[in-house]
Amino acid sequence: MRILVVEDDFLVADAIRRGLCMSGFAVDCASDAEQAAAALAAEHFDLALLDIALPGADGLTFLRRLRNAGTHLPVMILTARETLATKVQALDLGADDFLVKPFEQTELAARCRALIRRSNLRSSGQLTLGKLRIDITGRQLYIDNEPVELTGREWLIVECLALNSGRIVTKERLQQAVASWDQAITPNAVEVHVSRVRAKLGDSVVLRAVRGLGYRLDEPR
Amino acid sequence: MNESTASATSIRRRLLLFLLPPLTLLMLVGVFINYRTATLFVRAAYDQKLADMARAFATQIQQPEPKALVAPTGILFSISTPRGQVTAGQPGLPQAPAGSSPLSYGDASFEGHDLRLATYRTSTAVITVAENDDSRPNPGRFILASNWLVDFIQLDVTLLIVWIGVHFGLKPLLLLRRQIEARSARELRPLDAASVPAEVRPLVDALNLLFEMLTGAAQAQSRFVADTAHQLRTPIAGLRGSLQVLMREPAAAPLHSRLSSLYEGVSTLSHSANQLLALAQADRSTSLTRGFHKTDLKSVAERIVERNVDRAVESGLDLGAECSPAGVDANARLLDDLLGNLMDNALKYTPSGGRITVRCGYETGQAYLEVEDDGPGIPEAERPRVLERFYRIPGSPPGGCGLGLAIVDEIARQHDARLSIESGAEGRGTRIRVTFNRGPTENSVAD
Repeated sequence: MRILVVEDDFLVADAIRRGLCMSGFAVDCASDAEQAAAALAAEHFDLALLDIALPGADGLTFLRRLRNAGTHLPVMILTARETLATKVQALDLGADDFLVKPFEQTELAARCRALIRRSNLRSSGQLTLGKLRIDITGRQLYIDNEPVELTGREWLIVECLALNSGRIVTKERLQQAVASWDQAITPNAVEVHVSRVRAKLGDSVVLRAVRGLGYRLDEPR
Repeated sequence: MNESTASATSIRRRLLLFLLPPLTLLMLVGVFINYRTATLFVRAAYDQKLADMARAFATQIQQPEPKALVAPTGILFSISTPRGQVTAGQPGLPQAPAGSSPLSYGDASFEGHDLRLATYRTSTAVITVAENDDSRPNPGRFILASNWLVDFIQLDVTLLIVWIGVHFGLKPLLLLRRQIEARSARELRPLDAASVPAEVRPLVDALNLLFEMLTGAAQAQSRFVADTAHQLRTPIAGLRGSLQVLMREPAAAPLHSRLSSLYEGVSTLSHSANQLLALAQADRSTSLTRGFHKTDLKSVAERIVERNVDRAVESGLDLGAECSPAGVDANARLLDDLLGNLMDNALKYTPSGGRITVRCGYETGQAYLEVEDDGPGIPEAERPRVLERFYRIPGSPPGGCGLGLAIVDEIARQHDARLSIESGAEGRGTRIRVTFNRGPTENSVAD
C-alpha cells in the first residue's frame, strides 16, 4: 500500500516516512503542492497525508483542487493548528481524517490502515481486518480464507463492528443494527450475541468491551 | 445592582425630584396671587356698597324733612358733626381715618367684632357706615379652595405628563438596556447605534469601540496561540516521530535506554507545550472569540473515553463510562480539554489494575461531569493547592507540568461551573466533579 506524504518540515516528513515504512507501507514524500500534484499524476497512491501549512498553495487549497478534479483518493490532514474551524473546513472539503501534531507513530499507522481499508471497501465491497475478510456484498465472513458460519444477527454484529473498526460501537447502536422491525431485542441479548461472535472470531482480531459504552473491533497489534 | 441603588440613579426619579419642588412652589405662588386678587376685587365691591350707603345717608340728612334713618341688617352707622358729636346711629362707632378724598375706608374693632368702615366726610356731617366682617359672605375662602383644587389637579396632571414623557423619552434607553441584557457575556457584536437617541449615541459608540478593541485583542491572542501551536508542535512532532522511529531500528538497540530517556524528555516537552497552549486557549481573553453552543456532556464523555481506551489498556486500567445525556451551554473544544485533563490525571496516577469511571448526567437538576478513580487520591490538605498553576503534589511521578487541574479550573470558570475534588467510593481514590450551574440558554445554538 502506497502513501504520499505532503509535508514541508523535513524532520516530520522523514519521521513519518520511516515510521510508516516500518509498518509495511511504501511511502513517497513531497514538500509542496506542486510536487504532490506531479507525483499523483505520475503514480498510483492509496492514501495522501497532507499538511495544511505548506509553502505556496496550502494543504486545504490542494485538497479542494483534488476533489474538484474528481479524485477519490483518501486524504488525511496532518496539522499543528488544532482549531475546530480548521477541522470542520477540512472535513467539508472532503478530507477523510484529521490528525493533530504531535501524534504517535502507532496511531498514525492504525489510522492509515483504517482509511485504506475503507477505501478498498468502496471499490471491492470487501473489508480486511487482520486475518478477517468480510465480504459485505456477499454477506460472508472468512478467517484465513476459511468461510465462517454466522447466524443472521451475528453477521449484523460483525458487519457493524467491522465497518466501524477502531471505533467504539455503542451497545444501543448494535441493538438497533440487530433488531428487526417485528422483534425487539434487549441489551442483554446483544451481549449474548456479541459473546458468541467473540467465540467464533477467536484471536484473529481483538474485540474489546468498553465498560458502559460498547465494543471496539481492532486488528491485533 | 440592587433595587435601591438602581432607583437612586434612575433618570425618571431624578427628573421628578428636580421638577416637583419648583412646580409645587409655582403652584403655591399662583394660588396666593389668585387669592389676593380675588379678595381685593370682592372687598372693593363690598366697599363700594358701604360707600353708596354712606352717600345715601348724606343725601337723606340734607333733605329738608329727613326721614328716620334705617340701616339694613348687619350694617351699623353713625352720623356725627365734624366736631365729633353723634347725631344719629350707633354712638362710639369708630371712624375710618381721614384721607385725601371725602370718602375713606378703614378696619376697626368694635364691641368684639371686626368691622369694615366707610366714612364720608361732608362739610356738615361725618357719616360712617360699618359692616361686620363676619357677616360678609367670604368668597375668598371659596376662591381659595377652588383655586387650590384646580392648581393641585394641574400639578398632578403636569407631573403625570412629565412621568409619561420621561417614559417615552427613555424608551430608547430601555430598549438599549434590553439589547445589552439579552446578550451573553461573550458576545462582542457592536450595538445598533442608529436606533438610539443622539444623547446616548456617544455612550453606545464608546461601548462599541470597547467591544471592537476586545474582539481585536481576543482575535490577536487567538492568532498568537494558533501560530505558537504551529511553531512549537511541528518541530516537536518531528523530534518525537524521529526518535520513535529510531528506537525501533535494530541498529539503535545498544543505545535504546539513552534514546528512551531522550524520548521521555521530548514527550514531557510536548506535553508541557500542549498544556501551555491549552491554558492559553482556555483563557478568558482568548475564549471570547469562541462560540458557546448547546453541547451534550455524554458525547464529550464518549469521545474522550474513546480517545483514551488504548492508553488505559496499555496501563492495565479498566476504563468505563456511566453516562446519560446532559445538555449544557458550552464550547465543546474546551470541554474536551477539561475532560481530557481529568482523564490524563486519572490514567497517570492510577496504578495498574485500577478502575477509572467517567460519569455525566443530571443531579438535583444540574448537569455534571466527573471522573472517578481508585488510585492514591489527593490528600485533603493538598486539594486547594492542586488547582494552582505549576503546582505539583510533592513526590508526584515525573512527566507532568502541574497545569492539568489549572486548565480544568479555568475551563470550568468559563462555563460558570463548580469544580469539586473529593475522595472516591469508600474513601479511596479521587473523584473530581464539574457541576454546571447553567443549562443551555435559549439563544445558544444547537451543536
